[in-house]
Amino acid sequence: MSGAPVIELDAIVTRFGTQTVHDGVSFSLPRGQIAALIGGSGSGKSVLLREIIGLHRPTSGSVRLLGTDVWSAPEEELAVLRRRFGMLFQDGALFSSLTVAQNVATPLIEHARVPAHLLGPLVRLRIALAGLPVEAATKMPSELSGGMRKRAAVARALALEPEVLFLDEPTSGLDPITARAFDRLLRFLCDDLGLTILVVTHDLDTLLGIVDRTIVLADGKVIADGPVKEIMRVDDPWLQSYFRVRTMLEGPEMNRGT
Amino acid sequence: MSASARDCWLEQADGQDTLFLAGAWHLPRIARIDAALAAAGIPASALVLDGAALTALDTAAALALLRRIGAAAASVARLENFSVSHLRVIEAVLGRLGDIGVEAARPRHGWLAVLGMHVLDFRGLMLSHLDFLGRSAIALGDAALRPRALRLRELAAQFHHVCVEAIPVVVLVTFLIGVVLAYLFGMQAEKYGANIFVVDGVAIGTTRELSPIIVAIIVAGRSGAAFTAQLGTMVLTEEIDAIRTLGLSPMQVLVIPRLLALVVALPLLVFVGDVSSLAGAMTVANPLLDITPTAFIDRVHWGLQLQHVIVGLTKAAVFAVFIAIIGCRMGMSVSRDSRSIGISTTSTVVQCIVSVILLDAFFAIVFQELGY
Repeated sequence: MSGAPVIELDAIVTRFGTQTVHDGVSFSLPRGQIAALIGGSGSGKSVLLREIIGLHRPTSGSVRLLGTDVWSAPEEELAVLRRRFGMLFQDGALFSSLTVAQNVATPLIEHARVPAHLLGPLVRLRIALAGLPVEAATKMPSELSGGMRKRAAVARALALEPEVLFLDEPTSGLDPITARAFDRLLRFLCDDLGLTILVVTHDLDTLLGIVDRTIVLADGKVIADGPVKEIMRVDDPWLQSYFRVRTMLEGPEMNRGT
Repeated sequence: MSASARDCWLEQADGQDTLFLAGAWHLPRIARIDAALAAAGIPASALVLDGAALTALDTAAALALLRRIGAAAASVARLENFSVSHLRVIEAVLGRLGDIGVEAARPRHGWLAVLGMHVLDFRGLMLSHLDFLGRSAIALGDAALRPRALRLRELAAQFHHVCVEAIPVVVLVTFLIGVVLAYLFGMQAEKYGANIFVVDGVAIGTTRELSPIIVAIIVAGRSGAAFTAQLGTMVLTEEIDAIRTLGLSPMQVLVIPRLLALVVALPLLVFVGDVSSLAGAMTVANPLLDITPTAFIDRVHWGLQLQHVIVGLTKAAVFAVFIAIIGCRMGMSVSRDSRSIGISTTSTVVQCIVSVILLDAFFAIVFQELGY
């Protein structure tokens, strides 16, 4: 199963008009890890994510996802590829006219020939795997809380048993307790179901808690790449101030504890 | 069939049934796997599962396996020769099997219950329209007492959208209606040599009935729908809540300007429609009925009493109140998802058109009885 990297970016350059967002971004990601993409506002994290999954064409450079070149492969190959990854958009992007169960069933009905007697249980299994109670299945997205909506979106992203899961700021707008539970869900998906996960995040607790590897974007380049503990020691003004916020907040707490 | 082509098979040794699993057990092959499990004939006993020959196992396939075992009233005694990752997948599904057994169905209702719910919904809708009308009246009174509360800039902007921008479509439609009416009346009247009465017919018919109704329907489709969509989106983006929290009244800021703009605009548009439909009739009257423009205008002067025009314009003002109230109320009351905006907008247009036609029928009787 392991071996070739799941995601390979090579010299990605992105320009919007005269503004250069990415100026040669390259990294590769092995299977079975949770990697986080961090960077200041406007550093192009979300754009990079959209380039990896084929929603936004980079100005130059290549993206290989699960061995397929996203920006030069024929449409049939891309259609196969799209079933092999899942994407969690920032606000969930659930179809608001369908119940949670119907949302999860949509990709299954479209792309997998599931025997009729298995469809219902399979949908409910996805919902349970995403950590939602079974009652949520018949609710409309508008009847769910923010955290539950994100879990429902995870259930939909998991529908086709993807090998890779992309998440755009999954814990933003969630309270810390819900956010940590969401982190544990990601860890479970990676460890027990063997997913490779790339998450764009601002959440330091996510970084310190569950992420195997952190990739830092700044000035259009990858300025640091490795485990969080190493990243924290990198001498970069943005990174230093990013982690300093944490030390400032936790400093007194830690002193009291010891 | 060779063993390698099979997905699963049973073997019995020392009274112990063992189910061997082989190959890629994943979602793309789920239908085959499920059929293979059904064909394997799982006995109602404690099974040993052997996963030595599995190349892939995902949660969908694990679910199919565990459900088939459950359906056969069998149980899993032991898992043998599974890889660690496959064991984790089975455990993840096994741990949630209890949660997913029951299908929580949405309640279904009989037709009588559905009818009853619709009647209650309709009653609720009417009551809330009435409530909204009342609150609009209070806000209007408030604005009359404190003219500073009136949002003049918003009023002007709304008037521009509702009236000025609607003029081209109103002119076009009513002009064509005038043409068609003059043509149809003319064909009949010509038989009796009563050409000149076509002018009376068109003038009275359009100013009193057709122009108000058609312009009101155009405005209901344009502005009523726009009010609902605008206010509905503002509910969705919490702008209306923001207005409330800033200590402003959404009624004053949003509803009253729209209501006033429409009440002024609709009679004006109807008047534009009156003139335009007469112009349409006049254009065809000359070549078709030998009525020169001079004779046409002269006849309008004699044949069209002012009261017909006034009746038409009065009706228009009342239609405007209904369209504005329905449009704004439906917008303010959307629930917070994108689907409900579409539903509310559709509902607004339907309600506006139905109420315009009902009101028109009501006015036809009342004005007749009053002798106008």
